[in-house]
Amino acid sequence: MRNLHPAISFGYFAFVILITVVFLHPVMLGISLVSSLLYAIYLNGIKSLRFTLLFLVPMMLLAAIINPLFNHLGNTVLFTVANIQITLESTLYGLATAAMLAAVILWFSCYNKIMTSDKFIYLFGRIIPAISLIISMALRFIPRYIAQIKKISYAQRAIGRDVGSGRIIDRLRSGADVLSIMVTWALENGVDTADSMRSRGYGLKGRSAYSLYQPNSRDKTLAAFSLYLAVLVIAGIALRLVLISYFPLIELNHLSVSALFIYLAFLLLCLFPLLLDGFEELKWRFSRSRI
Amino acid sequence: MALFTVKDLSFSYPQQSTPALTAIDLTVEAGGFVVLCGRSGCGKSTLLRHLKTVLTPHGTREGEVLFGDRPLAQVELREQSSRIGFVLQSPDNQIVTDKVWHELAFGLESLGCDTATIRLRVAEMASFFGIQEWYHKDVNELSGGQKQLLNLAAVMVMQPDVLVLDEPTAQLDPIAAAEFLNQLKKINDETGTTIILAEQRLEVVLPLADKVVVLVDGRILAAGDVGAVSANLNANGSAMLKAFPTATRVFLAAENLTGSTRSPAATCPITIREGRNWLKRQLAQQLEQPLTQQLEELLPTAQSQAVALDSPTHIPYSIPVPPTAPIPAHIPAHRESQRDSQIDSPSNANAIVAGAREVWFRYDRKGEDILRGLTLEVRESELFCLLGGNGTGKSTTLGVLAGLRKPYRGKVWIEKHAGSSNPLSAVSSIKPTAARGGLCLLPQDSQTVFTEKTIRDDLLTMFSDPKSEVSLAITDNIAMLLEIDTLLDRHPFDVSAGEQQRAALAKVLLREPQVLLLDEPTKGLDAAFKEQLAAILVKLKSQSVSILMVSHDIEFCAAHADRCAMLFDGAIISQGPRRQFFNNNNFYTTAANRMSRGLIDDIVTAEDILERLSAPTPETQG
Amino acid sequence: MDASTKTRLPLKTIVSIVVIVLCIPVIIGLSLLLPGQGGMYAISAIVIAMVMAPFILAFEGRRPQARELVLIAVMIALAVAGRAAFFMVPQFKPMIALVIIAGVALGAESGFVTGSLSAFISNFIFGQGPWTPWQMFALGLIGFLAGMLFAKGRIPTKRLPLCIFGALSALLIYGLFMDTSSVLLMTNLLSGQSALAIYLAGLPFNAVHAVATVLFLIFLAPFMIEKLERVRMKYGLLGNIQ
Repeated sequence: MRNLHPAISFGYFAFVILITVVFLHPVMLGISLVSSLLYAIYLNGIKSLRFTLLFLVPMMLLAAIINPLFNHLGNTVLFTVANIQITLESTLYGLATAAMLAAVILWFSCYNKIMTSDKFIYLFGRIIPAISLIISMALRFIPRYIAQIKKISYAQRAIGRDVGSGRIIDRLRSGADVLSIMVTWALENGVDTADSMRSRGYGLKGRSAYSLYQPNSRDKTLAAFSLYLAVLVIAGIALRLVLISYFPLIELNHLSVSALFIYLAFLLLCLFPLLLDGFEELKWRFSRSRI
Repeated sequence: MALFTVKDLSFSYPQQSTPALTAIDLTVEAGGFVVLCGRSGCGKSTLLRHLKTVLTPHGTREGEVLFGDRPLAQVELREQSSRIGFVLQSPDNQIVTDKVWHELAFGLESLGCDTATIRLRVAEMASFFGIQEWYHKDVNELSGGQKQLLNLAAVMVMQPDVLVLDEPTAQLDPIAAAEFLNQLKKINDETGTTIILAEQRLEVVLPLADKVVVLVDGRILAAGDVGAVSANLNANGSAMLKAFPTATRVFLAAENLTGSTRSPAATCPITIREGRNWLKRQLAQQLEQPLTQQLEELLPTAQSQAVALDSPTHIPYSIPVPPTAPIPAHIPAHRESQRDSQIDSPSNANAIVAGAREVWFRYDRKGEDILRGLTLEVRESELFCLLGGNGTGKSTTLGVLAGLRKPYRGKVWIEKHAGSSNPLSAVSSIKPTAARGGLCLLPQDSQTVFTEKTIRDDLLTMFSDPKSEVSLAITDNIAMLLEIDTLLDRHPFDVSAGEQQRAALAKVLLREPQVLLLDEPTKGLDAAFKEQLAAILVKLKSQSVSILMVSHDIEFCAAHADRCAMLFDGAIISQGPRRQFFNNNNFYTTAANRMSRGLIDDIVTAEDILERLSAPTPETQG
Repeated sequence: MDASTKTRLPLKTIVSIVVIVLCIPVIIGLSLLLPGQGGMYAISAIVIAMVMAPFILAFEGRRPQARELVLIAVMIALAVAGRAAFFMVPQFKPMIALVIIAGVALGAESGFVTGSLSAFISNFIFGQGPWTPWQMFALGLIGFLAGMLFAKGRIPTKRLPLCIFGALSALLIYGLFMDTSSVLLMTNLLSGQSALAIYLAGLPFNAVHAVATVLFLIFLAPFMIEKLERVRMKYGLLGNIQ
């Protein structure tokens, strides 16, 4: 998926995340959650995912608790605690929300891996050129500034103004000194950057946007295929082939053939990046083993 | 046809009484390689910036600049953007985007080229400059030299007729600088692109140039080919000549000595090779008169002489050290000692004030060792220069000595002398020194040092009582010493790099260090500023300050150091008094040494050659 | 920016802005028809994106010069580097302070761009998520208001008013927006009680954020505004903001 055209990747994530957030259907949520988890593991590895989960679990718990506590829309009262009616509907709704949160966060963790800044800049370079350029410049400055901060505090220590020791107030003062040097340096040196831009014609009318990405036939095929699946899913929801309503009473579609068909379409859509990457990896390994 | 014609151009910045440029007349022919030289602050940048409308500074202006046959101001910005390429000094500041490929495409995007065109032009340039390998990288992963090459390539994609470069190698180390300048030569040779280059590294650049323009105080002092200009400067006794290549300087000085102008300017040597050839002829002539017979027996022609002379084992015309040769005042009289051993060197007799013994250091626990058993000592009142290439651990050594980096093995120490003889310490309103007992490090980048709005305020932050009269007096005193007394009320970022350097040095000196560590103090300085720095270092030495500097600047160290050492792979591989040090090196040595190697013994600076040439006719080696 | 530059916006930009603004109520209306009671969060995120669009388009429409872009990029990079530098201390971030300074020094419109892009770009490092649009809008709004209130001298740029504004924007704008986004994401309903619960739970974090903002403003604001002023004077940047 990494070498897919950025527009397809972006559209894909936007669609899957939107469906997950808007349509809290238990089967669809399950599909989305499992697929996102698998793809996140594939992209990030289990280890780096641990942090995401660490932050995710309390959020899920909060969602599972806060909904039944504050939402009394359901008709089926399970029990009453301290004058608060806990309903079946809102409890299930809380669980669904928790699953939705997990899926969304996991999808975003995949998005962050795939949609790197340069792809974003490419996508929006034509629509919002100035903003895109600012983003590119800022991304260039940030690591440079972090390095410069280190250089400055080193230099300050070298000339005998210690940053890391002394009384709190001294430390704050020398910390502020480092920051003030940093800001001065950044602003004064920025002028050269602007000169370099103008010298290379920035500001002339009719600026174009160059990119390394060129749509190819594979992109077109895959875009058509995923678009087809997306249209199926949308149609299924619009025609109420799959439906869910939590309040006042839970209403869920029956397991019909057409519903199954929609589930299958959504499953294929959600697994699409994993299948794509997995297939290409297999092909790669196979071709290498034959060499 | 002339590409640029500057007609009687004068320019003043707002609110400044002295004009930055006065009556500049200059033509640049298409396809030429023009080098603009002059001290920093002489108006080079101002002049270059007048060659592109968007960069032209605000101020009052007379005269005009023609591009081709049209006034530059009437040439459309679009046309200027592509036809006039401009490269500035700082490799980092000029880069706009975060990716190499995007930076290359930036100019063409501005011009509104379509993707296919950009793809082709970028590919061509990447291939020409050998950028393919880092084409997909983040800009931040590049080295300084690569960044500057990227800047050059990013301008070249627009296929300019002329490249204007404002001291593009000032921030680079000698190897990266040479590579950059060679690329310029390649561009000039292979595409016929006109080059207008302001540069301080004249030793490397003048051999490439077909026109030199010397700017002094905003006026053109001389312009023409290297021979003519250097002869002109010589006739005027201009100090600018100091920055010229060693061969040229020696040649002209020798002419001055003999009082003749028998060689036409066209034969003026510029490169080391030309200098060697000239020196050989010169030596042969010197010997001719008394020893004509022997000469002819030994060497039938000058050509075969050259072959013999290059062999270090058999040196028929090597001139032994004349006992009567005058010794420059600033060099301790150790002429005899250098052959025997270094023990007698006066600086070796001085007490050791700081040192490191078998120090090992690395940045990361799992990283590579940067210092591998480094041992060195700094002696009282000496200038000790540590030379070495990039990544050999020079700056790290300073950090370790200053106590900023902790070695994981070995010892670093500094002797605590009872009373500092530093006259500045007569008044003790200065904050107690936080740096290691009287040891102070001046970082390489002066811009990391300043915190205040004026240089005076900045210096005063070093006092615990900045408002007292004593503090002010000491500040004025130190400002006089470093010749920044007229700049005290300026903003630190408004003064030139050389001036920033001295202001930073002043700040460090307020700490009254006994041992001063300098990191590349001559980087980006012009020849005249270097002389001033040397004079300041002599003053400090006379006040018992010991100085350790790390540098790429062989010529500076050769002229001014007491002792030198070479750092390689984290340890010192050779060290000794300066003459001995440079005579032992074959390649990593001064231009004068390379020029005279095998011809005259024991040469380190251009002055040495002159001295020897002007000495009474020597005897042949017996 | 002053009024004269705003009126010079190209017609195309003005039309798109009008269309977008007209679309907002339509979208909200449509949201009521959505099935499954899951739409609140998505709708709000879309509406927020649409509210931001006119700011961005207006900025693009007047074709800002190179020096202005550099200055904004520098401020953004400082804010993001600041967020990265303090990543170990939760909520103790200089971002709001820097965005306020940018708004004060560069004007409302540039303040908005600085704020929203600081949020967006820092998420390239810390991860984009469902919070991104809210964060962008909150920080953008802070920069915009700072510019509106301070840039044209309506309120003197002294420490006290700046610090009050800083504390309020951390608590009432940034805190409230982010907490609201949590409520919407977690419950999809705007129930007063659940909102209150989350606001209360978020209060300690927002308070830390407010304190941090005030501290950073005390340390940074005077000299940074002066420095931005100096750079503008020295290089003739951004024309005539007072």
